[in-house]
Amino acid sequence: MEFKLSKEQELIQRTAKEYAEKSIEPIVKQIEDENKVPDEVIEGLRELGLLCLPVEEKYGGAGAGFEGFVVGLEQLARVSGGVGIFVSVVMLGTSTIAVHGTEEQKEKYLTGTCKGSWIPSVAMTEPDGADPRMLKTTAKKDGDYFIVNGTKRFITNTNFAGPMVVFAKDADTGRINGYIVDKFCEGYSISEPWDKLGSKGAFLSDVYLKDVKVPASNMLGTPDEGFQTLKVTMAMGKIGLSAIYLGNILAAYDEAFNYSKDRIYLGKPISQFESVRNSIVDIAMKYEAAKLMTYRIGYLADNTANKAKLVKDSAMTKIFVTETAVDVSRIAMNVFGSYGLMKDYKMSRIYRDAIVGPQIEGTANLLKTVVATDMYK
Amino acid sequence: MNIVVAMKQIPDLQQVRIRNRQPVLDGVPMTFGSIDKNALETALQLKEAVGGNVIVISAGTEELEDTVKEALAAGADEAYLVLDDELEHIESSVSAHLLAELIKQIENIGIILFGEGSGDNYSGQVGPRIAEILGLPEVGYVCDIELEDSRVKVTRSLEDCEEVVRVSLPAVLTVMADINEPRIPSVTQILKAGKKPQQILEVEDIGFDLKGDKKIVTLSSLAPENKRKQITVKNGEELVDALLTEGVIRR
Repeated sequence: MEFKLSKEQELIQRTAKEYAEKSIEPIVKQIEDENKVPDEVIEGLRELGLLCLPVEEKYGGAGAGFEGFVVGLEQLARVSGGVGIFVSVVMLGTSTIAVHGTEEQKEKYLTGTCKGSWIPSVAMTEPDGADPRMLKTTAKKDGDYFIVNGTKRFITNTNFAGPMVVFAKDADTGRINGYIVDKFCEGYSISEPWDKLGSKGAFLSDVYLKDVKVPASNMLGTPDEGFQTLKVTMAMGKIGLSAIYLGNILAAYDEAFNYSKDRIYLGKPISQFESVRNSIVDIAMKYEAAKLMTYRIGYLADNTANKAKLVKDSAMTKIFVTETAVDVSRIAMNVFGSYGLMKDYKMSRIYRDAIVGPQIEGTANLLKTVVATDMYK
Repeated sequence: MNIVVAMKQIPDLQQVRIRNRQPVLDGVPMTFGSIDKNALETALQLKEAVGGNVIVISAGTEELEDTVKEALAAGADEAYLVLDDELEHIESSVSAHLLAELIKQIENIGIILFGEGSGDNYSGQVGPRIAEILGLPEVGYVCDIELEDSRVKVTRSLEDCEEVVRVSLPAVLTVMADINEPRIPSVTQILKAGKKPQQILEVEDIGFDLKGDKKIVTLSSLAPENKRKQITVKNGEELVDALLTEGVIRR
């Protein structure tokens, strides 16, 4: 058992930190206000290998595995939750294709993302929710094509060209499968973007699919593998979110710790008041616990052959880290007092970002049901 | 042409805390000095302009084998290292001797680059000492380099002027921190760094006795204590009076 980053992982962490501080931090407000990750940031991430961290090198990825992914994403999300979600969704799309895609699909879509200009999306949730049994989007076999119809809700990165993994029910068999849809093909349209409370930056909209013709060769896996594909997607998404909100906790930690040393009250820094010191220690402990779980799920993702088996562990990690992020941002806000409420202070953004975590990719209550089902089966 | 860059392993200064006027180094990861990274960036830019091979040299503790991956990830082609756990706190003359021996093992050297001072002690001695040992010309405080066949045109940034000199190769150059902005290594390069060639030597291979009498013993390297007077003023008039009394301004 070793609780230490390798030198390579330490350097990946540093590359992500330096890039985020140099190229993202100065424009965080712009990213928030425009709700858009600028093209130059996307290119910067791509050039440094931070966009496709776990994708194999032969497809143009960095080949850093999921351990490298969580370590790097934590640092990007520490500076911008929106950029964190953007990168995490790229991972979600590429990982789903990497696990269940054919060699041709991987060659086309992974290389097109890592080396080209594509940005993937994954479309599971619908207006009625994300329960696979309630999916209304259908795929109807028609010769060498599937005809896909349906509406998908709260989908990220829909405004970029690239592959979108759409989960739909086979109109004839009722089985769920993933289909790779080329965004902006005929019949593809999107809504105006949703305006989230926090973690802004990654474009989020609904997707309308009207008689979209998907080549039969674009189905992921075999017809009876669809549920496994879905499980992989669910697990991978939670790994990404864990790393993002670990970065959020780290940001709150940095802000509160530094503020406690700088803020003078009654002639001394507030860090000299025991109640404030206890708050900072609470944050530090919670960060360490969340970090252990997040880095562990990165390790498990690299060392588990059947990634569908990660559903329980990734759900537990995501619940713990996102709920801890909410706790930590509240404690950190109390260290700041009124100043933390002001939009000029980073703390207000960290607080708004934190509350988003437990609500997306499965609420904590829903995920606890998933974990409990696995435990009692 | 081989471009040699000498780099010094030091604790990551951003993570060093000070307690009782002493640095706390426990658990602080090792890295290279920041101006050393400017020297490396200079070498990489020269290589991109005219070709060649960038070789990093360094002497330090066993951790250096890992630390040097930073330089290899940034673009250096190979590394020559002297490793020994006794090399944690060595004086400049010892560093210069060890590095000079490393340099002697490298053929076809064009330029030997240093940062103007190391990230920890900032004595700025090792570059000039090595030039002396090897009998090479040395130019310090370099802020620009232009290659011209078998020589270089070098701009030196001095206190109140810039000086432009030509120097024949091979030469030792020490560069300023503002000569460039070091690149951020890509993840792909980071993961390949460990596979690049490293020539590892031990102190005995060089025939140097580390246990010899130390010529210089550092007794203290603290900044002078600055006693603030902490005079409190209530308004501008009192401020002016206080400044007059202290002799900072005159009527």
